[in-house]
Amino acid sequence: MADPIEQFEVHPIPGLEFGEVTLPVLGVQQIAVTNAHVAMTIAFALVVLFLTAVTSGAKVVPGRLQSAGETLFGMIDGVTDSIIGHEGRKYFPFVFTLFTLVLGMNLLGMFLTFTATSQLAVTGTLALITILLVIGIGIAKHGLGFFLLFWPTSAPLAIRPVVGLIEFLSFLLRPVTLALRLFGNMLGGHIALKIFAGFVVSMGGLAAAGGLGLLGLPVAALSMGMVVGLTALEFLVAFLQAFVFAVLASIYLNDVVNLGHGH
Amino acid sequence: MAAPEKTDEHGGTYATTEAAHGGGEAGGLPQFDTSVWAGQIVYLLFLFFVLYLLISKVFAPRLRRVMDERASTISTAVATARSVQAEAAEQAAAAKAEVEQARADSRRVAAEAKARVAADAEARRQAEEAEVNAKIEAAEARIAATRDAAMANVSTIAADTASAIVERLTGKPASAAEVASAVKGAA
Repeated sequence: MADPIEQFEVHPIPGLEFGEVTLPVLGVQQIAVTNAHVAMTIAFALVVLFLTAVTSGAKVVPGRLQSAGETLFGMIDGVTDSIIGHEGRKYFPFVFTLFTLVLGMNLLGMFLTFTATSQLAVTGTLALITILLVIGIGIAKHGLGFFLLFWPTSAPLAIRPVVGLIEFLSFLLRPVTLALRLFGNMLGGHIALKIFAGFVVSMGGLAAAGGLGLLGLPVAALSMGMVVGLTALEFLVAFLQAFVFAVLASIYLNDVVNLGHGH
Repeated sequence: MAAPEKTDEHGGTYATTEAAHGGGEAGGLPQFDTSVWAGQIVYLLFLFFVLYLLISKVFAPRLRRVMDERASTISTAVATARSVQAEAAEQAAAAKAEVEQARADSRRVAAEAKARVAADAEARRQAEEAEVNAKIEAAEARIAATRDAAMANVSTIAADTASAIVERLTGKPASAAEVASAVKGAA
């Protein structure tokens, strides 16, 4: 049976390796164009192509493609607008970029052998961009008042430091959970898919040998059903996780954009 | 089973990865192999930035313009429809008033005509009645005259008859005065 985690290996495209370099935190780094780069590039290109197709011939009465694009656009617009409020439009491009890029990479993973969003480096980067933007906006807008985010004015004075500490810790955990949620969902889904698909092949092979091996047939059939069901589920998860990422990014942005009058 | 194959394909790289991690972590997830992180992170940051620029400068404004245009088109159309509807309602009210007016007019004209006809009929009836009455009166007068004449003749006839009777009976004619007084006495 094929190794279910082999699909997550990042390896250079042959001929596109450019040696190694040693960086301070990450240590020895390969400089190469890898399958991760290819997947990200294709996802990026598809997103740009899709948005170009949607907006280039945009009409007042939309066609089918434009309708689909406007639905996505309107969905994220609704999210930023309802969560962040009247300033939501300013942050819409950021949230929409997150959403489309994550959605593109998630969905592409359903068609390619490699899923960019199942790489911790990718989801971690997206989470860090988000949280650094949140901190940056917080400090730019409120200065040191940004730290009021951790000062729960609604709690009794005596326990405020404790609650504040918990708030601070939960804030620190935000990028971690943001990164791990997407990473875990993609990882788990694709491992489960691979395992059941592997069962189909190995049990089918057993049955092909005949004799007692024929008992493998129902198991193979069951696994096949699981693969079909899981594939449908994974499409849903691919969309849902991109949406969840966008919603959470909006919520975190709202915390600092409307600091003091949202709590 | 998969690992040796991989080593065959990308021998050098895989060996480096293994070496960086140490043999004990060979079974771990490939995602925790940090030697490929920097390349992904830098590239993703680049793609993210480019996509952000494209969306914020090109795609979002384009789509928002179309959506705003649509919203304004719809609101204009709704406003137009509303004004047209109001105009139609106004016209309908005017037409209704006109119809009412016409109905009232026709009712009035009908009443007038009826009254005029009735008056005419009455006048004609009265005229005819007067004429008939006159005729009746004339006729009555003629009858009365005829009767009077007849009555006058009656005494003459009676006198003639009486004188004739007297002449036959007595053989001599009675005097006119006697006969007249006798007739008068009988009358």
